Amino acid sequence: MKTLPTFAVGIGLRQPHYREVFERAPALGFLEVHSENFFLDGGASMHALERARAAYPISLHGVGLSLGSADALANVHLAKLKRLVDRVEPALVSEHLSWGSLGARHFNDLLPMPHTREVLALLTERVDRVQSTLKRSILIENVSAYVEFRDSDMNDTALLDELARRTGCGILFDVNNLYVNAVNFGFDPRARLAELSPAAIGEMHLAGHTSVDGCLIDTHGARVCSEVWALFEEACRRFGPKPTLIEWDTDLPALDVLLGEAASAAAMARRTVEVSHA
Amino acid sequence: MPELLDIQRDFASSLHDVGAAAHPERWLMGDEFLVEQRLAIYRANVTAAATKALGAAYPVVRQVVGEAFFDGLARAYQRLVPSTSGDLFDYGAAFAGFVAEFPHTQSLPYLADLARLEWQVHRAYGAEDAQPWDRQGLAQVAPARQSAICFAWAAGTAIVDSHFPIARVWLIHQADFEGEFNVDWSVRERALVAREGFRVVVSALDAGDAAFVASSLGGAALGASTEMALAADPGFDLGHLLGRLMTSNVICGFSINRDE
Repeated sequence: MKTLPTFAVGIGLRQPHYREVFERAPALGFLEVHSENFFLDGGASMHALERARAAYPISLHGVGLSLGSADALANVHLAKLKRLVDRVEPALVSEHLSWGSLGARHFNDLLPMPHTREVLALLTERVDRVQSTLKRSILIENVSAYVEFRDSDMNDTALLDELARRTGCGILFDVNNLYVNAVNFGFDPRARLAELSPAAIGEMHLAGHTSVDGCLIDTHGARVCSEVWALFEEACRRFGPKPTLIEWDTDLPALDVLLGEAASAAAMARRTVEVSHA
Repeated sequence: MPELLDIQRDFASSLHDVGAAAHPERWLMGDEFLVEQRLAIYRANVTAAATKALGAAYPVVRQVVGEAFFDGLARAYQRLVPSTSGDLFDYGAAFAGFVAEFPHTQSLPYLADLARLEWQVHRAYGAEDAQPWDRQGLAQVAPARQSAICFAWAAGTAIVDSHFPIARVWLIHQADFEGEFNVDWSVRERALVAREGFRVVVSALDAGDAAFVASSLGGAALGASTEMALAADPGFDLGHLLGRLMTSNVICGFSINRDE
């Protein structure tokens, strides 16, 4: 298993960019893919992942495990993830603080959870099980949300930090998701950074969003906005440099746009460290 | 305090059934109007994820009916057969059957067979890679045992039998297709779906070849499969078919059936 240097900056590798990434071999610290796109037995996608893996450390980012489902954890899904992890030996494996399925039905979305002691207990048991199955630690990401629960008795950041303390998992801190929620629910995102232990942060995500009727929607389809860059700078100061990813899924632009965003993130992380050492 | 399961039950039913008896807003902050507006975002995400997955599995059906109609078709399918897996590659297995029954696609009688073909192409895309094998061994099988040879087929290989020229329709809708776009609708085609390397290849087989492949894929030995093929087409040419299938590694091994 490879570990990533703290200054590593990567991009999400999506199918339209495969050829160009392999031919140009841009200087990137890692590539991140959605785990579920590679649950296949073989074929062109798996071959592309093998090629990516030969050239870069890989981060497997899951979107379908539904850790927070109240009824059960999908054993078939976990088994497919284990097979992929064994095959790829990724540098990072991550999932979300969310649920997506109930009973036989899967919504294939990252649905929000109330942040309660009950949810913390459930996630602690689930993360323990996933980590013992995969025989490695994983990262859990804060999600963007459009509704808030009345019965939450803590913030998602505080819940993640406690989850990390209990299970030894790391935190994938998505800067854009925190910002989206701050706007949607009207809180100061900077205050939430204090709830996260720097040592628990294993990766940061940067992405773009869109605004519809005053609600920010996490589309991963635009450049990182200036407010999120400012929040990222603050996070770098507080947490130190961490492996950072430019995440882009819809309206995918030219590869150079992603590489430009990645270079900006790398420059900002370096500048922050130089300033704090000056 | 409410149980998480109760909250998720209400949330779930409000996602797939607008106007359901469930009231997730009692667990959520904000007035009814705001909550409904925000839940609509999740509803749209759920629909979009399934529609995108279905479109990825059925790109030719999508081209044939057009994007807007396909989106409607996907929504109607999703209401009847929602996703059950966090792995969306599995989504859409029953789509051909749905298309066959759907009232508004009856003017395209070949569409269900085209969908059946596309599902096999979709499965073949992610099938296990065929490994190189020793063809010398095949030549060394004693003549008396040859009829007991059972071929191993590359994962993903399938035959889709239709009353319509579905292989041709599939082919002319491929991005890299070059040539005339005409289709002879009187032709009945048996489409062979096969992985050649990482590429999924669709080709039309004649009656004899199709009977042989279907029989052999089903596990029958060479002798029995050849009889099936000759019954379908007295001019069946075994050597020609085997040469083609072995060159492309669609047949990728063999065993001897001891029962024969």
